[in-house]
Amino acid sequence: MKPEECPKCKSAKIELENSEKIIWTFRECGFKGKEVGENKRTTNISTKTKPTWCPGCFNFQILAGVKKVIEEQIEKGIPKDDFAIVSGIGCHAKIFDYLNLNGLNSLHGRVLPTCLGLKVGNPDLNVFGFSGDGDAYAEGMEHTIHAARFNSNYKYFVNNNQVFALTVGQPTPTTEQGFKDKTTPLGVKVQPLNPIALMLAAGATFVARVYADVKQVEEITKEAMNHKGFAFIEIIQPCIIFHPDKGYKEKTYNLQETKHDKTNFEQAWKKAQEFNYNTLTDKTKIPLGIFYQTQKQIFEDQLPQLQELKKKNISWKDIKR
Amino acid sequence: MRYNILFGGPAGTGPNILTHILGEALVEQGYYVFYSRDYQSLIRGGHNFNVLTFSEHPVSSNDSEIDILVCLDKNTESLHKEKLKEKAITLKDNNSNMYFAGRVFKLLSMDFSLLDKQLKKLEKRYDENIKESKKGYDEETNKICEIKPQKIKSYFMNGNQGISQGAIKSGLDIYYAYPMTPATSVLSELAEKQIENNYLVLELENEISVINAAIGSSMTGAKSMVGTSGGGFDLMTESLSLTGIAEIPLVLYLAQRPGPGTGVATYTGQGDLNMARHAGHGEFQRTLFAPGDPKEAQELTSQAFYFSQKYKIPSIILSDKHLGESLYTLIDSPKIIESKKTNSLTRYNSYEKDSEASATEDPEIIKKNIEARKQKQQQIIQDSKNFEQYKIYGIPSSKNVIVSYGSPKGAILDAIMDLDIKFIQVLHLEPFPEIKNEIQNKNVILVENNATGMFADLIAEKTGIFIDEKNKILRYDGRPFLADELKREFQERIK
Repeated sequence: MKPEECPKCKSAKIELENSEKIIWTFRECGFKGKEVGENKRTTNISTKTKPTWCPGCFNFQILAGVKKVIEEQIEKGIPKDDFAIVSGIGCHAKIFDYLNLNGLNSLHGRVLPTCLGLKVGNPDLNVFGFSGDGDAYAEGMEHTIHAARFNSNYKYFVNNNQVFALTVGQPTPTTEQGFKDKTTPLGVKVQPLNPIALMLAAGATFVARVYADVKQVEEITKEAMNHKGFAFIEIIQPCIIFHPDKGYKEKTYNLQETKHDKTNFEQAWKKAQEFNYNTLTDKTKIPLGIFYQTQKQIFEDQLPQLQELKKKNISWKDIKR
Repeated sequence: MRYNILFGGPAGTGPNILTHILGEALVEQGYYVFYSRDYQSLIRGGHNFNVLTFSEHPVSSNDSEIDILVCLDKNTESLHKEKLKEKAITLKDNNSNMYFAGRVFKLLSMDFSLLDKQLKKLEKRYDENIKESKKGYDEETNKICEIKPQKIKSYFMNGNQGISQGAIKSGLDIYYAYPMTPATSVLSELAEKQIENNYLVLELENEISVINAAIGSSMTGAKSMVGTSGGGFDLMTESLSLTGIAEIPLVLYLAQRPGPGTGVATYTGQGDLNMARHAGHGEFQRTLFAPGDPKEAQELTSQAFYFSQKYKIPSIILSDKHLGESLYTLIDSPKIIESKKTNSLTRYNSYEKDSEASATEDPEIIKKNIEARKQKQQQIIQDSKNFEQYKIYGIPSSKNVIVSYGSPKGAILDAIMDLDIKFIQVLHLEPFPEIKNEIQNKNVILVENNATGMFADLIAEKTGIFIDEKNKILRYDGRPFLADELKREFQERIK
């Protein structure tokens, strides 16, 4: 499918250079007066790697949702190389192996600083970070809080299955009290962390939660991409082996279908308290959707050096000293 | 002629400015100046002192005995009076650093205009400073020597400025750090110059964030560098290993201070050699360089960028507080080696990876990957030979051979001047140069600023030559070597 306009400059001057390989070139792109360059329109961003998630794993839903949005963007003409992904360690991290995009399958807990480094290295990249609850709330907790403070313009997905699944089922900081496994035979004694409240307190500009359902993931990914700044998206993801859905799904509802004002911090804070990640009761309700969204200055927009690069439409790599 | 002046006082009374303006003025007159800083981990009060050594001949260390003692408080005199030479002069009973500046300039028969020039450079409090220093200058009636302009053109720099300059000259794009003595002044030095030189300096929440952000930036092709001391380097270690497998270029500056733990936060030592060599799990390639003065700091920083970019490896520059924060007088400009930016954004992995950079557990691919990285090691070793991996000073044919690396170089050079000694300073610690022929069948003497002699172990590992315990000159009280003391140590050991 031939894109009608350059997604960056909206210029319609597009030439089809090679019909067999479907390579589009945006000529005289209004985008800072420079060509966007060749766009290998291989919209399929699958790798040849065969997924090793358990059959029926909710990670497939998340992969499908994110992939659909990115493929749509590439179809619209955003070069594939304008995307970068970073994953941590855990079941979630295998998403790196199934998305043929640049980036890094990093260490446990270190997704966020890597994303920041990528944005500072090249502010034009569309960066997606993927973490599990182990990455985001245990090993790399400090980065999660500071990422909210920094408000760098990348998108962060936390697959929260409330368990360390790839190490066969130990409790994480969001596991409910009383949960038992081989390492915790006496049951979890401490109360779970509430990541939504944490992100609100830390000053995140986009705080959302969805259920691990392809449609929900797809929609929130689009919303996050349209957000200017750091987007925090938690995905409630049952682990079919070590932490199956204990009735979460029926208790969820969409905030955007209620009168919730996502620009109102107090309302967001109240909504964040409705579900405490602990034991469910008959009255428990699990709000999904965007809790809070606001505009703050983007970190990299405040760095004069990066503005200089932007003006010249170059990256650090192009600077010869 | 070689004079030592000690300026002491509580933190906040300005012994540093006092030392620095005298140093600058002497360097501008063509003298060689070296000064070291001894300060406590506190902000106001306590006792800090600087020792400034100058001569018309090269100096790169202090001595244990003092010619002029400048006391900004009473404590200074009682703490240091035992170090005074017989004819030493003690300046005291005032707490104005500028008053003492006037007296010291007069003692050295330096024209007041030279002091005035320095005070103008300071800008701040010029009128008060002039008044105070004039008072001191007029009151002083003694004279210990006469400073006359020498024909030497030189520059005055500390080791951390050398690291910073080296990084700028090597085309640094982004420097990440978390404050930690004694690496902090690289952070502030680079931060100050970032706009004029168009690179970026960022301070993040901890050293783990620092190295991972640097990895992210390096992935995009930016020349990235981090700087820290031992404890911060410990925190970076896991990600150092990541750069090894993912083959991401990164320059790391490690400024040593005495450990373990918090150790002695504002003093000096060389206890992190083994960490720098071995940090990180798994087997991966690295280079490790150890400058001995600020000129070498510039040169080896440029080499660190060269090797890290060319071979996509981590390159570590190992220094310490004494080198990092002491001021040296340098004549020659450094030889900076250019390095191309080799990286561009692709797929990187912390796992062993297959042809499309996805994680793999395939034994054939694992083996192939490891062998490819190992192959790189051979190329690095070959390439290193194009560089000056070690330097020889003194009498090349001497049977007495000193081996050392890093900051002890300064005191060693000053101590060996009229002795029958050859001194080998190793600049490249990894890959290690072939020095066996230089030390075989010689009376080998080790100088190292730690308690266990790690450098001797390294030499034994690489050459099979074990240094006699009696020939290991080790200092591990957080203080640097002093030239006169070291000379006596050498005299006891030379054959």
